[in-house]
Amino acid sequence: MTGAGPSETNAKPGAIIPAAAAPLRSLTAVMAVMCYLAVLAVGSMILIDRAVSHWARGLSSEATVQLREISGRDMETDLALVVALLQTTPRLSRVEALPREAGAKLLEPWIGMQGLDKLPVPRLIRVGIDEKNPPDFVALEAALRDAMPSARLDTHRRWESELKRMAGTLAFFSGLVLLLISLSAIAMVVFAARAVLDSNRAIVDVLQLAGAEDRFIAKEIDRRFLQTGFRSGLIGLCLGMVTFLLLGFFGGAEGNGVAAAARGLFYIPKDGPDRQLLWFLLVPVVATLIGLLTSRFTLMRMLKELG
Amino acid sequence: MSDVLNLDAVGLRYDDGPEVLKSVSWRLAKGDFAFLTGPSGAGKTSLLRLLFMALKPSRGNLSLFNANVADSNRADIAKLRRRIGVVFQDFRLLDHLSAFDNVALPLRVAGQRPESYGSDVRDLLDWVGLKQQAQALPPVLSGGEKQRIAIARAVISKPELLLADEPTGNVDKHLARRLIHLFGELNRGGTTVLIATHDEAVLKQVKAPVFHLAQGILKAS
Repeated sequence: MTGAGPSETNAKPGAIIPAAAAPLRSLTAVMAVMCYLAVLAVGSMILIDRAVSHWARGLSSEATVQLREISGRDMETDLALVVALLQTTPRLSRVEALPREAGAKLLEPWIGMQGLDKLPVPRLIRVGIDEKNPPDFVALEAALRDAMPSARLDTHRRWESELKRMAGTLAFFSGLVLLLISLSAIAMVVFAARAVLDSNRAIVDVLQLAGAEDRFIAKEIDRRFLQTGFRSGLIGLCLGMVTFLLLGFFGGAEGNGVAAAARGLFYIPKDGPDRQLLWFLLVPVVATLIGLLTSRFTLMRMLKELG
Repeated sequence: MSDVLNLDAVGLRYDDGPEVLKSVSWRLAKGDFAFLTGPSGAGKTSLLRLLFMALKPSRGNLSLFNANVADSNRADIAKLRRRIGVVFQDFRLLDHLSAFDNVALPLRVAGQRPESYGSDVRDLLDWVGLKQQAQALPPVLSGGEKQRIAIARAVISKPELLLADEPTGNVDKHLARRLIHLFGELNRGGTTVLIATHDEAVLKQVKAPVFHLAQGILKAS
């Protein structure tokens, strides 16, 4: 039986703390699962953010003018008047009067189609907005009211803010999940660091009698936690990526939103990958830092307690 | 000449038990060579444990290298320990490390790199007759081989104070003479040496003061 020490040449010296410490093996498994959950949480955050950005872009690029029917007035004439006004308004990219059926279709879920032709159905005008240089909506609304009191401008801003608020809530809960995962990982590392120190007390005693300072001993042990954190982070990241890959390609029929969004994570545009994907790389980095810093802090405190 | 160790009315008891060391006053100066002897259970190991600061005196003052141990913080104690080499009666080798790495341990603790200490460790292993076992792990070595590794570990950093608890207990007479000769060489280089032993042959080999510990009381004989 021979050790892992240097041979006749000056090879790397053997590890002072044995590598096969049982608490570290358990910690690797538990932390890998935590990192996997963290990757899923980060992926969900990215997917939600992308979906909300996409929807919000659609909402902010359009507005709708609604024209109510007023008895005694000709709707088509009023409609032409409003369209003409809008067409002369700057910073609008497109003005399109929708047929009567479009407004009727919106009412159908509530009152059905029967007798709908006898009801005063509002007419809708779809207005495209130059997103980079939007018009003054307040002035536009005032101009519309002056020209046609039965016209109302709907900029979809309320929906947009609702959407953003919902996205913010989901992001908050995802962040909370990540925080809880991190706290659980910290608790596990504290527990494992204590277990490793306890199971290596004889070695620690010899090191202390040889004049080793707490920092030296902690460094010898927390090197293992650094490796454990990094390894767990990578395992969690790989498992998470495989999950999104499977979800994207086997997650449902064509048109399934979640599957399509998951597929989008692996789409790399010509101008390079989305910066949001860097969030995934933070998982092994944070796991490594949690492993290193938590174990160092715990060990230093315990060694001080040992006296 | 400066004191290496100085005990002033030091007493030691474990918890609420009787005193195992009773008002011990003693000093060793730089370059001294001394033996500590006495019957089993007299407190020799306890006294050595006090000297390498594994225990704290229950009363009295203990100074090492003119520093009062009671006033020293953890970092200071670690620094003091790096100036002391200890041969433990039970060896205290790290079973997962090779003989080479066990011997090199104090140098690693002191921050030295393998490139700087490799040849010194090999030379010392050669000197104690364990060159061929450099890569062997302690569990496969005999008691005598382990003892030689423990001694090599204690002297590799050329400590200012060497404390040895029965260092020749597991080796033959020839090797015992060689080891005591090694301690003498270190002593001539300025190391203060204190050997706790029962071995009459060892006591006769070096002309040095012998301190006798019995029932917790230390006397020069």
